[in-house]
Amino acid sequence: MNGKSSLPIDDKMATVKIKIHKDAHITVKKELCQECPTRPCLVICTAENYQWDEKRQEMIFNYEGCLECGACRIICPCDAIEWSYPKGGFGVKYRFG
Amino acid sequence: MDKVTCIVVGAGPAGSACALALAQKGIETVLFERGRVPGEKNVSSFVLYAHELKRLIPDFREDLPFERIVVRTDQVQLAPNDAKALTSYNYRWVDDPLAFTAFRRKFDGWFSKKAVEAGAQLMGGMKVSDLIKDGDRVIGVRVGEEELYADVVVGADGFHSIVGEKSGLVTAWEPKRCFLAVKEVLDLPSDVINQRFQVAEGLACEQGIYCYHMNDLDVFSATLYTNKDSISLAVFARLDELKEKGIQLHQQLEILKKHPYLDNLIRGAQLREYQAHLLPDGGRVKPEHLFGNGVLLCGEAGGITATETGMGIPTCLLSGMMAAETIGDALKKKDFSKRTLKNYLIYLDTTALFDMIHKSRKESDYYASAARSEGPREMVAAADIYNQYWEKDVTYLSKSSFSLLVELYLRIGQFRVPGLLRWPLTALVKLSRLPAKYIEEIKRKSRQRYYEWKK
Repeated sequence: MNGKSSLPIDDKMATVKIKIHKDAHITVKKELCQECPTRPCLVICTAENYQWDEKRQEMIFNYEGCLECGACRIICPCDAIEWSYPKGGFGVKYRFG
Repeated sequence: MDKVTCIVVGAGPAGSACALALAQKGIETVLFERGRVPGEKNVSSFVLYAHELKRLIPDFREDLPFERIVVRTDQVQLAPNDAKALTSYNYRWVDDPLAFTAFRRKFDGWFSKKAVEAGAQLMGGMKVSDLIKDGDRVIGVRVGEEELYADVVVGADGFHSIVGEKSGLVTAWEPKRCFLAVKEVLDLPSDVINQRFQVAEGLACEQGIYCYHMNDLDVFSATLYTNKDSISLAVFARLDELKEKGIQLHQQLEILKKHPYLDNLIRGAQLREYQAHLLPDGGRVKPEHLFGNGVLLCGEAGGITATETGMGIPTCLLSGMMAAETIGDALKKKDFSKRTLKNYLIYLDTTALFDMIHKSRKESDYYASAARSEGPREMVAAADIYNQYWEKDVTYLSKSSFSLLVELYLRIGQFRVPGLLRWPLTALVKLSRLPAKYIEEIKRKSRQRYYEWKK
């Protein structure tokens, strides 16, 4: 990738209001990620919620910062992502959509 | 066991339009929305064209919560070291405004309130998690533990439609047919906006930006429009291309913001909110997947958007209105099976919706293939030729001159016409639409000839 972001994703995400539910609305079958040849979720996720831990060879995933675009669900080649919207009234709350 | 006539899932433009049109007909309607209030889950990345809204709410201008009235439209072609902009001002929209910039939180809230005022019942903060089915017939919805039964369920629940999925109408997604979008709302004082975009107070500028060969991505598009004291800037790219090239879209947005053309416009602006959305590339679902026994799909749930032409809200709104017409007919016949709900397609066909969706899809394919074979400078230099694809036809409700036949077909469709007789009638209606297409083709060819001559 040429060119580095001047504003890291954390600063972007700091502007978004999210009401977190205690139950995860996305579950990732992490054992499938180890076999995955491409791992497109790492680049596709608009909130960078998917991180690959090189040391432990494991997918790290946070549902808390999810923007509910659902791109990971479409792009996953291994069907490892069980995706649904958060419970009614929870999740992202855009003020200026 | 509670039962209503109609359940609409999702209070976005499609759902609210459908609920409003149904309520205006006096049909008992319940509107479910998973957000606590309508609009807090929704992101739009372009201008609100209100031609269809005007049909539904004639006096909508009285209290529409808009930011600015659109008067200036720019078509911009960007390459790493080039930019070419074509500006047009549409002053007739100052007196008779039909294009607005708006925030969806306010607009969707306002629109659903109109549906409630007309008699629909809004249930906010309720996520429909499943459908209740009797065989392949949809007879109600499940919200958590609770159940509600209905004659017909309208799925207007967006891209990842639960209604579409559970009813079996929507099956698989192709990453090729999906656009990922990220948007930033950037704070900028009102007078700075007026000065930089050369518009008067209260008026807005919208820009459709095509970007070629920036950071390995052959082509991607961006939109920019001005709100009262902020700018909305969004970028779109096909999901499969992002995957192939390994590019993060928000990084791409940062690179775009550093382009001298955009830097001039947004310099000094502070980020107010960051958003993301996934949207279908005009017409993902086949028409026959828009209806089933006791169920209809409209809006993004049915893939009804013309993404490339910037027509998301009007197309969704229109499909909601047409779904309401279909349900009105079905109620008269007291039959909510596939056979009657099929009329939905005919209603959609009376508008220019399918043509527009097709056009949008063709357009995006065209840009993708042209950019693959030509370099950045060539693309920008040739913008005159490509701009013709940007010509917008904003009214969908313009019926073809042969709509009388379509009308006739609709009337006949109400009675049970034997199959043998129905077939020639359908053929006749389809044939009658041919000439319009021919005319379009002839127009296109003559335009092409003109451009070649000019070169």
